[in-house]
Amino acid sequence: MPRNLSRRDLFKLGGAGILTASGIVALNKTSLTTNHKHNLLQTPAPMEHGALPGVGEVDHERNGFNPMELLTDFDYGHVSLLPNGQTLREYEVVAINKEIEIVPGIKFPAWTYNGRVPGPTFRATEGDRIRIKFINGSNHVHSMHFHGFHPGSMDGVPGSGGMAEPGQEFTYEFDAEPFGLHLYHCHAFPLARHIAKGLYGAFVIDPKEGRPRVDHEFVMVMSGFDVDFDDTNDFYAVNGIPFYYQNHPIQIRVGETVRIYLVNILEFDLINSFHLHANFFQYYPTGTSLTPSEFTDTIIQGQAQRGILEFSYKYPGMYMFHAHVTEFAELGWNGMFEVIP
Amino acid sequence: MTESTSPPTTTRGISLRTIGLLLLPILLLAGVIALFLARGGLGLEPAAPVEALTIERYTLSWGHINIHVRNASPGPVTIAQVIVNDSVWPFTLEPGREIPRLGRAIITLAYPWSYGEAYGIRIFTSNAIPFDLEIPVAFATTKPAAATFWNFALIGLYVGVIPVFLGIFWFPALRQLGRKWMTFLMAMTAGLLIFLGFDTITEALEKAAGVPGPFQGVGLIAIGAVATFLLLDAISRQQSATRASEADHRMGIAFMIATGIGFHNLGEGLAIGAAYNVGEIALSTFLVVGFIIQNITEGLGIIAPVLRDRPRIAQLGLLGLIGGAPAILGAWAGGFAPSPTLAVLFLAIGTGAIFEVVYEVGKLIRKDTAREPMPLVVFSGVVAGMLLLWITGLWIK
Repeated sequence: MPRNLSRRDLFKLGGAGILTASGIVALNKTSLTTNHKHNLLQTPAPMEHGALPGVGEVDHERNGFNPMELLTDFDYGHVSLLPNGQTLREYEVVAINKEIEIVPGIKFPAWTYNGRVPGPTFRATEGDRIRIKFINGSNHVHSMHFHGFHPGSMDGVPGSGGMAEPGQEFTYEFDAEPFGLHLYHCHAFPLARHIAKGLYGAFVIDPKEGRPRVDHEFVMVMSGFDVDFDDTNDFYAVNGIPFYYQNHPIQIRVGETVRIYLVNILEFDLINSFHLHANFFQYYPTGTSLTPSEFTDTIIQGQAQRGILEFSYKYPGMYMFHAHVTEFAELGWNGMFEVIP
Repeated sequence: MTESTSPPTTTRGISLRTIGLLLLPILLLAGVIALFLARGGLGLEPAAPVEALTIERYTLSWGHINIHVRNASPGPVTIAQVIVNDSVWPFTLEPGREIPRLGRAIITLAYPWSYGEAYGIRIFTSNAIPFDLEIPVAFATTKPAAATFWNFALIGLYVGVIPVFLGIFWFPALRQLGRKWMTFLMAMTAGLLIFLGFDTITEALEKAAGVPGPFQGVGLIAIGAVATFLLLDAISRQQSATRASEADHRMGIAFMIATGIGFHNLGEGLAIGAAYNVGEIALSTFLVVGFIIQNITEGLGIIAPVLRDRPRIAQLGLLGLIGGAPAILGAWAGGFAPSPTLAVLFLAIGTGAIFEVVYEVGKLIRKDTAREPMPLVVFSGVVAGMLLLWITGLWIK
């Protein structure tokens, strides 16, 4: 806090000096004893509202989406067969401006794909034909820039092609490859703002032979919200709503196998992370290999990095998962697994 | 103004017609406002929410942080979230989440703060407008217990009363001086007061920044300063009209100087009390010494007009109390119920009082110099007074 020293400060200082000079023990003693007590104990005071940060519930109905549903909402598109035998998956995506209540009492003027943050999780098998009709229903130019193989004209970047002016549309068409966990986001400029406002989502391409069967597959898109537009995140979340999975634990059973598709699209901060409590997971960076690279309980992802996690729980109980960038955790990126016997 | 041309004024009662004519514009005004509102005002919506939340003060108790806020926006404000050191924290709000315009509310956080640490608190309104509070050093806020009352009184005693009285103790020695030296001392008093006056108004302006917008801090300064100046001037004129004795008149001026300095010290006390509450007090014995040296000059200023008279001891005692004791009151008010608005008002009153007293002292000096012109004595006296405060200030800044 920048402060300019005024004559007032001198009086403040002077006033204090007098305390020592005149040896007023009483005041010092009272304040010291109480302070000292606090210092020695160092135990947190009892909290009136439970032990976890974050309060209340947002209006999911008004938001039009619920993170619990997003968790397992894989969009396989409208499926048909092309004459050459290739599977065609068709999607329609509309970009709209929408106010989203991200924490109780604060509505974020988001830019969304299909009215939700994150946007739909597209899922295809390697080699499928993807055709996405993108309609820009907002008042800014937007695009869908996919990570993966595709021609430059389908890149969704100014200068290359694939931009949609307000009221216009564009159809992206390409083959889904390589297999792995990818993402897409708007690539209009100013880029950071277009992403931070909510235009992003996950893109899963399964290998032709598929992945081993698991009991649960979840998608988790990590992001942040800069509600006062100072290019610093004020809240952090997985699947759009801060603290959601903390307040609504994800229920699994002991021994059940879990696969998480984890994507980081956090703006403004350099890294994000994922830490699983009381457990370890196999980690497949970018999901492009079927052999895990690491057996760990914490991974770090830079922006647009992603990976697949696989684990199961040995014991019943409540287990936290959160960004081990703990600041993010206390600002919303915190969740719970409830492991039922 | 020429008296012969002014129309004869009659003192007959105001007729009904006059009352009607007086009320006519007001009735028309009411009509215009009604019409304006009936047509839906200007029909303009603000482009963006305009919100202003003034954080007036905070208090800390074991396991709790209380923040006193005032809504200085054009409309009501709703508090949505509170973030303490980058952690979203549960809070309660008294009396309610929505604060009406100019309304006050207390945000209470059950937060396990630690002694001596710093905290940054961000309050988000429902329009996602952030308001920040910094707690530089956390420690339990003093409660108005008997012991702390006494301690704040002691602070005020050292800051205000003792230095002023020490200055007054110069009285017997200064009485021995010749007329020229007494005039010099009067001029020096004027210099001291001018310096203090500028200092006080600067502080008032600085503090005005913390006053909620609708309370118009700068306007308060103007009202407080001008009203005090004119009121003291009126009192002084009435005294000189009714009292025969020159000595009584000079004693009256001494009392006014004491009053002006008293308000100045009240402002100092407020700042000390408030500073203690927010933990800005750094401990330094050296500073106190310099501080007493600077304030001793205030006592000197108070007695300068009555040096040639024979004031009673009781009168001198009263002068010292008027000049110094408000520091104690200020410390109490600042320590237990700090209000930036009141502080600005007091400082403004102090400014008006001090400059009026400069005016009175100037009149006394003019009487002296009318008998025997001594321009260099006056010049050097005023400059010496100002330099005295400036140089002693160097020690303690």
